Amino acid sequence: MSKSRSELSIILRGVAKDPLGLIGLIIVGAIVISAIFAAWIVPYDPIGMNIPDRMQGPSWSHWLGTDNLGRDTLSRVIMGGQVALKVALPAVFGAMAIGLTLGMIAGYGPRWLDNLLMLFFDTLRSFPTVMFALAVVALVGPSLQTVVLVVMATSIPTYGRVARTQTLTLRNSEFILAERAMGASMVRILGVHMLPNIIGVLGVLAAMDVPTVIALEAGLSFLGLGVKPPTPSWGALLKDGYALIRQTPWLVVGGGLPIILATLGFTFLGESLRDVVDPKLRKNR
Amino acid sequence: MKLEWTKAPMGRRNFLKTATALGASAALPMGFAGQAMASEGSTLRVRSYGDMSTMDPAHSNGVFDEEIHASVYNKLIQYKPGSEWGWQLDAASMIEQADPTHINFALRDDIGFTNGHGAMTAEDVKFSFERIIADETESPNKPDMGSFSHVEVTGEREGTIVLNEPFAPLWSIALPYITGNIVSKAATEAAGGRIGTDPVAESGPYLRASWSPKEKTVLTRNPDWKGDAPAWDNIEILPIDDENTAEIAFEAGELDFTRVSLGSVERYRAGVPNGGTLLENPSLFYVWLGMNLDHPKLQNPLLRQAIQHAIDVPSILEAAYFGAVEPSTGIIAPGLAGHREAGKVAPAADFARAAELLAESGETNVTLTLDVLNKTTFTTTAQIIQATLAGIGITVEINVLESGAFWDSGNNENLQLVLNRFSMTPDPTYATAWFTTEQAGIWNWENFRNAEFDQLHADAARETDLAKRAEMYIRAQDLMEESGAYRFITHEATPVVHSSGIIPALRPDGLTLLRYFGKS
Repeated sequence: MSKSRSELSIILRGVAKDPLGLIGLIIVGAIVISAIFAAWIVPYDPIGMNIPDRMQGPSWSHWLGTDNLGRDTLSRVIMGGQVALKVALPAVFGAMAIGLTLGMIAGYGPRWLDNLLMLFFDTLRSFPTVMFALAVVALVGPSLQTVVLVVMATSIPTYGRVARTQTLTLRNSEFILAERAMGASMVRILGVHMLPNIIGVLGVLAAMDVPTVIALEAGLSFLGLGVKPPTPSWGALLKDGYALIRQTPWLVVGGGLPIILATLGFTFLGESLRDVVDPKLRKNR
Repeated sequence: MKLEWTKAPMGRRNFLKTATALGASAALPMGFAGQAMASEGSTLRVRSYGDMSTMDPAHSNGVFDEEIHASVYNKLIQYKPGSEWGWQLDAASMIEQADPTHINFALRDDIGFTNGHGAMTAEDVKFSFERIIADETESPNKPDMGSFSHVEVTGEREGTIVLNEPFAPLWSIALPYITGNIVSKAATEAAGGRIGTDPVAESGPYLRASWSPKEKTVLTRNPDWKGDAPAWDNIEILPIDDENTAEIAFEAGELDFTRVSLGSVERYRAGVPNGGTLLENPSLFYVWLGMNLDHPKLQNPLLRQAIQHAIDVPSILEAAYFGAVEPSTGIIAPGLAGHREAGKVAPAADFARAAELLAESGETNVTLTLDVLNKTTFTTTAQIIQATLAGIGITVEINVLESGAFWDSGNNENLQLVLNRFSMTPDPTYATAWFTTEQAGIWNWENFRNAEFDQLHADAARETDLAKRAEMYIRAQDLMEESGAYRFITHEATPVVHSSGIIPALRPDGLTLLRYFGKS
């Protein structure tokens, strides 16, 4: 416990030493904290309409103005962050868990199983993500769960392939061969010895994937096929903002800025994490 | 001195830094470039919401084709520009209703086709009209011809249109709109009976000079035109789908005329840039909330009436239509025969009455779905409906659908509430046609089945007495509303802006009649 705690503190210190990493950490921290406490910090009910006050510009009472239904844009941006993370985190970590398991099995298991799983990954990868998402949404209807499912399904091959490659690299390492010679089970070898050596790389990949997923959710919501109204989402804000850009540009700012910030924040953090956990890169810096 | 290009150290990290800095600088307020008017010399530049798809009237896809066809072809009669629906002579020097099923006409003697195809004759009229209804033509516009049978040619430029039974929309749709365009028999037959994206012979005041797909269509003055000379030497029609883009183009002086978004009306009311003018025209389209009468959840008429009374149309018009449109009373817009001055349910919600009806219905814990197209106007409207119905205890879940899935809703048995919008031509029969029993499950998504309505629709199309016809359509809309399956919302509007140098010629619903555009 104390070992992992000290490792975490080393990583955090490493990230904090990198200016871009620190910026990423601050942005991601702010997004996560605001999403967790969204219900307490929103100044107004994000779905409460007040039509007489529609399309107001920024003011002391509405920092980012109001939308065409008179709803406070800032409140919708904050709640939209919660939706973005509700989609991104389960989708990314779900895909990582499934991809990791399947990838390790593919890399460590028999050749026929490897081939079968690779065929499965390649089949999933062959679907263009957005087209696949649109097809699923058309079939089962738009919802938060649909978006999570689509993103998870299309992300599994990426994690699976990386996990497989890492497993293939490690399977003939001396410490693994020694474990096998001592009669360790496959579950023990994969879970106890290989997993700690793979998880770091996948963690970096996951951090870099979060903004992609947020952007995909925003894209589906922009097409009107993401979360259902009146649930606030950054993509839906952007869509409404685009339609009303000549009347009030603040909706586009409200919807676009968090997406840009989230993308930058997670990318900076992911890059910095990669540098910290990869000793080769650390040396070159 | 030798200049050498050196590779910039633009790694991913540097790229992100640079992009962030550029993004921040781009967000700073910027000034607007100077604006200049578009009208130069004698070229009129107008925006169309879609690109031309064919030069064949039989296969016209609607307004954006007809804008061009109406300028390069002639009809017996054309719509009259102005605020009231009417027609005026075009290729016909005379046209009269001899009896309910016979219309005599005589052509002008000064209209000729290009490419050496000679003067326009009654044979051309016969060929053009009969071609539309011929099965082998497979014209999607055949229904517009209604009970048209054939044309009897009685002279070189004289003939009689023969109908199988009286058909009132002949004068409001068939002759002055898409199907009324007269093409050259000789030229079309020489082309194998099909006209593609290039005209085979033209006869109007303009000729189509060029067509650059997705870019522009250029019309130029027909040197052989003997009628009233058109005001402009050239007309450039630019297909621009997005209204925001078109507005920016207009304000930059790149367009002389465009339809604008309803959201911009308030801004343009305060002043149109470059000395331009805003014209607010009513539209014929109709928007309504429909309830599927076949769905088990919507069998109770009192529940449907409660929903009708709970929806606050003024709130919808204010938020989704920016207060730029009026509430509707039915499916037939003002200006057309059969328009109702008032509906049976007032536009403003009556929550007390709605709650009373819901209580009388005995329905509790009502949860319904509302299907809408993925456009901001509809999703906004749906959210207001959701909020107002929540006020009387009805929970609504909004299903946002992309256009393919949405327009396939006719055969969706699970459809409950649906927010819908239909286009319209200037004859009431075109509105009632979609709500007959035979349309149930096709375009009649409410599955409204009413024998009296069906009979009224059929009889009104044959009725030539305008007053009697109007009464029939009013009764037909009463029946729709009494069924509880409809909550009428609006006919929308067609706001347009034009620059100071032109005099637009528009139909009462704001659509263009380009050949009549003038200069000021």
